[in-house]
Amino acid sequence: MSRINDVGGMQGFPPVQQEPDEEPFHADWEAHVFAVNRALIGGGVYNLDEFRDAIERMPPQQYLASSYYEKWFFAITTLLAEKGVLTAAELAGEAGAGSAGRAEAGPSASAEPGPDGD
Amino acid sequence: MTEPLRPGDRVLTSRADPAHHTRLPRYARGAVGTVVEMQGRHPLPDLRSRRLPAEPEPVYTVAFAASELFGDGDHTVTVDLWHSYLRPAEDATAGRPAPAGPPATAGPSGVAGSSGMAGPPVTAGNGEEER
Repeated sequence: MSRINDVGGMQGFPPVQQEPDEEPFHADWEAHVFAVNRALIGGGVYNLDEFRDAIERMPPQQYLASSYYEKWFFAITTLLAEKGVLTAAELAGEAGAGSAGRAEAGPSASAEPGPDGD
Repeated sequence: MTEPLRPGDRVLTSRADPAHHTRLPRYARGAVGTVVEMQGRHPLPDLRSRRLPAEPEPVYTVAFAASELFGDGDHTVTVDLWHSYLRPAEDATAGRPAPAGPPATAGPSGVAGSSGMAGPPVTAGNGEEER
């Protein structure tokens, strides 16, 4: 019953791309996602293992098509909804509003050379 | 009480295939490796991810021959594993399918109740009730 994250030893994935002097973030929204997650874990809303579990619960096809911080964003919103911090409607409204900061590169615009994400 | 493992100890990893979060990757299940060193004590992620009580337990760096994990290769793979995922290889190998040859250094063979290949699912949280 392994989940889609557990692909170690599986073939078909290209080698990990090493970027020399890689920037910590490839877009501004990634830094926001990173900071929000630290704050939520630090504040005890969920713990690190719940966060990892939430990433692993992504639908497989979405998991494979998502970049690293897109997976983080998915897990954060999943846990906030599950724990009643935000409602699904609030999440949808926020995403639909397209604030200036997020519009530049939403979590669907991946800068990574992933497996042909759509 | 679970005795702490020491560097050089041979261990067999759990074959459990849990539906929840775990830090024992699929490729390292049911494999025999060697303890390299202890990495401190941490609560079991399998429990903590479900908000179940979890006391800190030893985490070890365990080295596996690539051929043990993948059937091929001559490098070594090291994985950090919680104590709950491990048991001494001696009492565990009794449940493994017999290798083609005579069993090497056959231990006590008829250990009743040692879980075999398709034994009851071993929950990774095993053994923490009494501690």
